[in-house]
Amino acid sequence: MNAKQMIEENNQKREQLTEDNEKYYSDLMLYIRTNWQVSEQHTEELLLELLNHLLEGQQEGKTAIDIFGEEPKEYADQLIEQLPEEEKRSWFTFFASVFLFQIVPYVLIIRGVVLLVLPLFTEVNDQVNIFKLLITAILLGVMAMGVVRYIMNVIHRSVFKKNHAEWKDSVKVGAVAAVGMGAFILISVWLPEVGPSFRFTWWLSLLLGGVIWGISKVVKSN
Amino acid sequence: MSIRSQLLKGILDGCILAVIAEESVYGYELSRKLQQVGLNDVSEGTIYPVLLRLQKNGMIEGEMRPSDSGPNRKYYDITAQGEEALEMIQEEWRILVDPVNELLQRGKINERETDD
Repeated sequence: MNAKQMIEENNQKREQLTEDNEKYYSDLMLYIRTNWQVSEQHTEELLLELLNHLLEGQQEGKTAIDIFGEEPKEYADQLIEQLPEEEKRSWFTFFASVFLFQIVPYVLIIRGVVLLVLPLFTEVNDQVNIFKLLITAILLGVMAMGVVRYIMNVIHRSVFKKNHAEWKDSVKVGAVAAVGMGAFILISVWLPEVGPSFRFTWWLSLLLGGVIWGISKVVKSN
Repeated sequence: MSIRSQLLKGILDGCILAVIAEESVYGYELSRKLQQVGLNDVSEGTIYPVLLRLQKNGMIEGEMRPSDSGPNRKYYDITAQGEEALEMIQEEWRILVDPVNELLQRGKINERETDD
């Protein structure tokens, strides 16, 4: 079973839990899942195992506290400590595929539409500078990865905090995302065009975006 | 933590290996078997960090397969390395248990004598 199938099964089975057990288990799950250093496959195997145990215990009248103890955070930390680490490669593949399939096609399609419409009002430049393109792409990837990791950390730290003010987290995450986005825009505007450029017309942009979008749908449905 | 669960902590790996060596079990069965032999103080959840550690060290292997009651469960089997480790733990335990019994039982007898 792969991680996705296990998450699916987990979602369905969680509905059989009583309200208190569900709360306890979901916090435990969120806390463990938002630790990005551990292997996703092993994490989901463990989470499903714990859920099955809790469900069997529940039938005999036991609660999550009876089974996993009164200190869920300490318990989760013990588990995380023993889980194998995720390989760096699978993080990279994950981000590369998100970047290629979720960001690139939309950027290309939007660019195509803008280049098609804008000449009606003003003069446009459909040249693309290779150096600038590379740097912006890398920058966007790194920034997206940083923001995602930051959000996961914020959630991870907040799960077991008592009397936690959620709006503070929202402000923090919003500020980090805004600063990141601002820096990205500034850098991409001020970046000089070095080396060769090529003409990248509106229809080529639309076509390429459409093709990648189509491929991403096929890959996703498999 | 009670004295009993503190004492148990050091030997829990060995107890879990011993159960898995007898037959392959999944988590819930394992905790039930530990309780059946009288180890009621092990809170059921404590077996999971131990199971993860034993897997990481290559003592046991986990595999998803259908259980007797139907749905998939992760069953654990002991490895050759795990069997070796279990033998060593059994040996160490034998070396410890007699002198410890001897000492602690002697204490009990003295207590009885002074009571009389």
